[in-house]
Amino acid sequence: MDTLFLVKIGELVLKGGNRKDFERRLRDELKHRLHGHSARIQTGVGRWFVECASESEEAVAAVLASIPGIYGFARAIRTGKTFEELAIAARDAARARVALGARSFKVEARRSDKSFPLDSYGIARELGARLLADFDGLSVDVHEPDFTVRVEIRDKAYVYAGEEPGQKGLPVGSSGKGLLLLSGGIDSPVSGYLMALRGLSIEAVYFHAYPYTSREAWEKVRDLAKILARYVGRITLHTVPFTEPQLAIKKNAPENCATLFMRAGMFTIADRIASSIGANCLITGESLGQVASQTAENLRFTESFAKLPVLRPLIGTDKEDTIALARRIGSYETSILPYEDCCVIFSPAHPLLRADLARETEAYEKTGLGSLLDEAFRNTERLVIKPD
Amino acid sequence: MTYLDWAATAPPDPEVLDEQRRTALSFPGNPSSRHEAGAAARAALEAARTRLARALRLSAKGVHFVSGGSEADAIPLLALLRKKNPGSIVVSSIEHAAVYEQARVLERLGWKLREVPPDPDGRVSPDKVAEAVAPDTALVACMAVNNETGATQPVREIAAAVRLTAKGRIPRFHVDAVQALGKIELGGDGFGADSLAFSAHKIGGPRGTGVLWLRSPVEPLQSGGGQEGGIRPGTENLPGDAAFALAAEKAVAGLQAAREGAEALEDALLEGLKAIPDATPLPLSRVPRDSRWSPWIVSFALPGLAGETAVRALSDSGFAVSTGSACSSASRERRVLDSMGVDRELSFSALRASFGPESTRAELDAFLEAVASIYRRFKA
Repeated sequence: MDTLFLVKIGELVLKGGNRKDFERRLRDELKHRLHGHSARIQTGVGRWFVECASESEEAVAAVLASIPGIYGFARAIRTGKTFEELAIAARDAARARVALGARSFKVEARRSDKSFPLDSYGIARELGARLLADFDGLSVDVHEPDFTVRVEIRDKAYVYAGEEPGQKGLPVGSSGKGLLLLSGGIDSPVSGYLMALRGLSIEAVYFHAYPYTSREAWEKVRDLAKILARYVGRITLHTVPFTEPQLAIKKNAPENCATLFMRAGMFTIADRIASSIGANCLITGESLGQVASQTAENLRFTESFAKLPVLRPLIGTDKEDTIALARRIGSYETSILPYEDCCVIFSPAHPLLRADLARETEAYEKTGLGSLLDEAFRNTERLVIKPD
Repeated sequence: MTYLDWAATAPPDPEVLDEQRRTALSFPGNPSSRHEAGAAARAALEAARTRLARALRLSAKGVHFVSGGSEADAIPLLALLRKKNPGSIVVSSIEHAAVYEQARVLERLGWKLREVPPDPDGRVSPDKVAEAVAPDTALVACMAVNNETGATQPVREIAAAVRLTAKGRIPRFHVDAVQALGKIELGGDGFGADSLAFSAHKIGGPRGTGVLWLRSPVEPLQSGGGQEGGIRPGTENLPGDAAFALAAEKAVAGLQAAREGAEALEDALLEGLKAIPDATPLPLSRVPRDSRWSPWIVSFALPGLAGETAVRALSDSGFAVSTGSACSSASRERRVLDSMGVDRELSFSALRASFGPESTRAELDAFLEAVASIYRRFKA
């Protein structure tokens, strides 16, 4: 065991009664994701520790940086609770930063073990003086330091500089399971990511209208699910063969309702899949007014085909912000590959903007999708996608 | 799989593959080496050059082996960059990407680019090309047979018109003849062009082999060991070149008979399309057995069914065709059809069937049946 990570657990500590459950989920997820790296996880109040062999350091850091429920983490030095030992550790922690060109620093200390002779302020002051003596040209800046040396006096003393942010949020599964309607566009992967941070485990459904949509379009969706899995953990991708419902809509529905009815059919099937897998909600990438099918009236129409609540984390988000988020989570480059999903291919030239629930529902019933949707649901294929 | 995508690439001819293997094993030396093995390889390379020149009815001196059609197109265009001052170039807007995109690179490097769109039948008018030529025009390019529509271009007339109207220096005339070799008569004059591009793999030869024929040398941009008269440095691909020579000989020798076969298929396809409601040839004026089109390539549209969708559905039914050029089928742009003024609805639903010497009437009939049934099922 060569590398020690100090892991900060964020919101978990705030959630009184659920804390145990949340912690168990995070620990299980962490264990699962670190499997094969022979890492050792030690839990505590607000601070966890993960130890691993130095050759696994990068991989373990990547997991800590991506799973929901972790506030931040740092490579830490564990040492004895004497000032001399602290000073040596602080020098070691600072050395790497100074080597990277850092010129100013501060020291922050937390003392859970009140038997330590110096108080937090005293530790910071004394260690600061030692570091100033150890490194020429280094100065103290308490407002905007290039780096911060943090000291925590607990069962042992821990010293670290350079904390990396985690994803924050709640551990996967602590809010149950959601079924994500994954289209291959920019929005839906971001939606899945955001809801995973709120503690949902995620399964995904894709509507495949081959040969209108290509094999490459499906592969793109699979790749997006793979990217999401980095954060969410394993994802089951449900691929619904949607060609026949699509053709029936083309033939029987008023042209301006084609997209709307297609989405109604998708919600119908998604709702059934969600129930069959024990999901408690649907998740979509819809954003109010972004396209014709996403007006309030049309959202009302399509969601009337789902019994479960439809969660739309991007409903009030500007596209540019969604794109920025997509870039951050690494899905953007895949999302913009030029393989169209069936939404694009079948969109009418002049779509209906404001559905009348009663009127459009009646028209929808007349397209006679029922048995075709049943068959599509029955022939849905499942693929389990695991994080790399 | 019924293969109707010969314009993308032809299945390898086993006899040609044998020739390639035999040459590789018999002549292991580097043609530039001074030892006996090198000399033998040099002699074999020159023999391949002579055979190719004879098949193409061109001078052996002008035959330069290159890596394929794209490089044969690039060399004369990039050679312009050796000139002190950029001038202008004139290219048809239906050129293969190897010419068209290379011309756009020159444009970014300061050359003026003038595009000549074709007439609605997909053919480029010699007068329009001549009109586009300016005193500073250094190069004119027009392909011999368009790879998407099969339209044969009046390249000989273009060469003459350019020569007639050019004031001052006559620009070089480059012809991409990749879809012409083995498909239409080349004549003995190289279409009156200054440079011609050929590719081996379109006629059953190996990929990675082509010929740039030059009436007079150019000063190439790329430099190196001086092979191929300095036009294309790099150790020669002797096995590929020898295989190309054999493939070209076979294609040219069999041209007359194969062409009759192709015309029968062209005729049958165009006739068969008439029986499919709404299906239409591209261009609409296309008729069989007309020298304005190569019988080997037929483009047609199934309005209301995206070309891409039709290609996938046909592929599942066992037929290989393409939406247009295989090289550009991933992009949404339909440059060739757009420039002909073809309606977007038609160009997005365009398909290209292309034949080879082994294509049969039975294959074509089955294909037409599949097209009709797929169109019925998936049409919007």
